[in-house]
Amino acid sequence: MALFEAQNLRKRFGARVVLENISLSIEDGTVHGIMGPNGAGKTTCFHVLTGHHAPDAGRITFAGRDITGKKPHQIARMGISRSFQIMNLFDDTVVIENVILALPEFRSSGLNPIRDVFGNTALIDRALAVLDQVGLAHRAWEKAAALPYGERRALEIAVALAPEPRIVFLDEPTSGLGTDATRALADLIRDLRNRYTICLIEHDMRFLFDLADRISVIHWGQVIDENTPANLRANKWVARSALGEVA
Amino acid sequence: MLDVTNLEKVYTKSRFDRTPTFRLTADFTVENPGIVGMMGPNGSGKTTLFELITGSNAPTAGEVTVAGRNIHKVRTDQRDRLAIHYHQSYQVRHFRSFKPNALMEPAGSDYPVLHLFDEPQFNTQDGYIGFMLDFFRRLRDQGRLVFLCVHPNERFHLEIVEEICESFIFVNKGSVTPLPDYAAMLAHEPARAYLGDLLTERAA
Repeated sequence: MALFEAQNLRKRFGARVVLENISLSIEDGTVHGIMGPNGAGKTTCFHVLTGHHAPDAGRITFAGRDITGKKPHQIARMGISRSFQIMNLFDDTVVIENVILALPEFRSSGLNPIRDVFGNTALIDRALAVLDQVGLAHRAWEKAAALPYGERRALEIAVALAPEPRIVFLDEPTSGLGTDATRALADLIRDLRNRYTICLIEHDMRFLFDLADRISVIHWGQVIDENTPANLRANKWVARSALGEVA
Repeated sequence: MLDVTNLEKVYTKSRFDRTPTFRLTADFTVENPGIVGMMGPNGSGKTTLFELITGSNAPTAGEVTVAGRNIHKVRTDQRDRLAIHYHQSYQVRHFRSFKPNALMEPAGSDYPVLHLFDEPQFNTQDGYIGFMLDFFRRLRDQGRLVFLCVHPNERFHLEIVEEICESFIFVNKGSVTPLPDYAAMLAHEPARAYLGDLLTERAA
């Protein structure tokens, strides 16, 4: 059985068709890609999958439980984490604080961040372990704003991993990254795939084709194709495209 | 599947001055699932025809019947369960309906029978064309009727049209002409004039 499943999701904003009959199935331990042209409905799809918008129709299940219509915080507590296309970091704090704030141990105890965080070695060790997963442990005590863009993206992923989710949704993680930073991010995701199920929206098709086990192509708010990268690449129009030239 | 019967839409100068500024007339039937290409110059009435078929725009006269139901008598919030219009992003026009939904009929369908794509962006750089064409074919194979409004301005757009469309509708100055296949479309004089250089380039 799939770890995460969406069936026949529909969403309208007024008269505008945003999602029409979206179905997705994400197997445990895989990287599932979502791609599509601008305005295809990818981010709205993420918002619906992670509870930020309720669907008008359809059903979402996670580990066999119906999570349709649940609030983002309820969904997050079940083990579903996400990042956003626009960065959401606390720039004025140090790197490790960003992670500590996302740790369930911190959130559940209602600690006062100013007074308690730096005296709690257990929290610090836990946050350092998370930062280590994304290769940022050595930057733990630097200001978040001082990190280069690629490392800020990695920090966002660390924040998403801090609650120990089973599945992580990443919205355009390569957005704004140069070639080297994109390559480093691909290595990071390849490393994380052994521990988490990952679903990522990506514009960079080469990045996605190299990483994903399966890809859903979204357009007009629908899944217009769903297959392995190899099978998608076999399409004659893909072969004619810029992507085909490097395949 | 689709009956467009004596359909007429007249736009007038204003509510008081009824001098017509644009008149669209259409009368055609599509019996079976398929992929229909729609072409015509800018301002010829293609998008208006789509709006009339999906029921968002009310006709001056005539009827549109989708899967046996008069689309303009179906509840406004369920019309896209029969016919769905995928707009160009900047071109969604909103129309008011004065009749309450409670007095109208249900759509009786859960997934649209008719899918109308208004100038999808075909770009050879990213490879999405292949997925889009496969999607149109899949809809047809599932018993749906697909309308594809295209505005060819590159030679490969004609290749796409030839590959995917089984029949055509040419719209010119408000008059709608159904054409049975690609050859008939190329033989239709207003279509030849519209495609102009693309045909010569292609022949070359």
